[in-house]
Amino acid sequence: MSFSERLKEDFSTMTLVLIPVAIAINVVIGQIVSLLKLPVYLDSIGTVLVGVLAGPWAGALTGTLSNIVWGLTIDPNAFPWFPVAFFIGLTAGICARYGLFKTWWKVVITGIIIAFVAAIISAFINVWLYGGITASGSSFLTAYLLASGRGVIESVLATNFIFEPIDKVATSLLAWFIIKGLSVRYISRFPRAENV
Amino acid sequence: MADQLSLYVDRASPLHRLNPLTKLVLSFSLVLIGFLGPGYWLPTILFVGILIPLSFWGNIGNEFLQRAVRLILPLVLFLFVMQSLFYPGGRTVLVRIWIISLKLESIQFAYLTATRILNMVGAFLLLLLSTHPSTLMTDLTRRGLPPALTYILVSTLQIIPQMRNKANTIIDAQRSRGLETQGSVWARIGALFPLVGPLVFGSLVDVEERAIAIEARAFKAKRVKTSLREVPDSTLQRQVRWGLGLLTLVLIGIGLWR
Repeated sequence: MSFSERLKEDFSTMTLVLIPVAIAINVVIGQIVSLLKLPVYLDSIGTVLVGVLAGPWAGALTGTLSNIVWGLTIDPNAFPWFPVAFFIGLTAGICARYGLFKTWWKVVITGIIIAFVAAIISAFINVWLYGGITASGSSFLTAYLLASGRGVIESVLATNFIFEPIDKVATSLLAWFIIKGLSVRYISRFPRAENV
Repeated sequence: MADQLSLYVDRASPLHRLNPLTKLVLSFSLVLIGFLGPGYWLPTILFVGILIPLSFWGNIGNEFLQRAVRLILPLVLFLFVMQSLFYPGGRTVLVRIWIISLKLESIQFAYLTATRILNMVGAFLLLLLSTHPSTLMTDLTRRGLPPALTYILVSTLQIIPQMRNKANTIIDAQRSRGLETQGSVWARIGALFPLVGPLVFGSLVDVEERAIAIEARAFKAKRVKTSLREVPDSTLQRQVRWGLGLLTLVLIGIGLWR
């Protein structure tokens, strides 16, 4: 099957209707979690969900649009981070394509891979736009590392590699739990149902 | 029916009557020039000299300033403090407290970053306050944006308030059944699942029904669809858009070359 055929299949009507719901899940859960002041974001559950059920590109689109919608409605500071969300969706879809979403421990591995990718990309955006210090709690750790003489990129990467895995593994597991809770008949309506 | 999630403020003003694409191009140009253009004071000039006057031209000056301040202030203050103290490019020490020192270059960098962010937020705020999302979507679709994308964006903006209301309903329902939502961190994490579960599964079940519904309404048909809304455009605006695009490229070029 050619690339464009696969793409058209991935973006079926079910996918198109799933994406807004997934974005809404991202936004609502992300907001609840930030109100609870937990050290995680959990704002990509919908992105991973779409990546697994409808392929990497649908996942990437979901992530990007989630960021844009979050930026439009809650906090415009979220706009520059859309490449991170893009790659979260893409990575989730690719991992699922290679069977990494079938058992819980494989899902943990997927979470770690996603965390790795997300950490690198967000570190670049962080440094390029903000010089390494953003307004999140993890910046304190970055600041400490900087003050102790390490380079900027090193410090930001180090900070990210600590916080991201917790968040992304939890996100992937939650997405997996959700999929497990849906009926097989329902899942089979999605383009990449063979991923789970 | 829950209202749409948008910042739009309905006023009769020249800014509101502008074609949405013009405003979109303007916002993006301002953001790009602010981040990549030449000059230390450029973002400040853009915000004070272009964005604020435009907002008053659009009769939304007060809302603009209020929102901008509310959105930006906490972030900028935090950023300012953190970067002034910890930015690694600093040389000239102004004040020293214990092991932390306040350096001139750090303050300068913090100011630059802060005004760039202010500029970005202001540019998008101007767009959002003066443009109804449906108008923007209709115009973009007419220009060739895939209807699928339009559907996704408009649908998302409708679903989020619906989901929030559902979330509140579920929270109330569970609390009336004795769910503990205050207390220690672990208690709150534990309370998360009975809240999120019904919300997520309830929304996902909707997906299949919606898909069937829109397919039954010829959503995927290839014909050009007639729109209820008419969005006006003018030659002058088209010229302004191209002009802005060119200006942005030139300024970015100068900025990167320096």
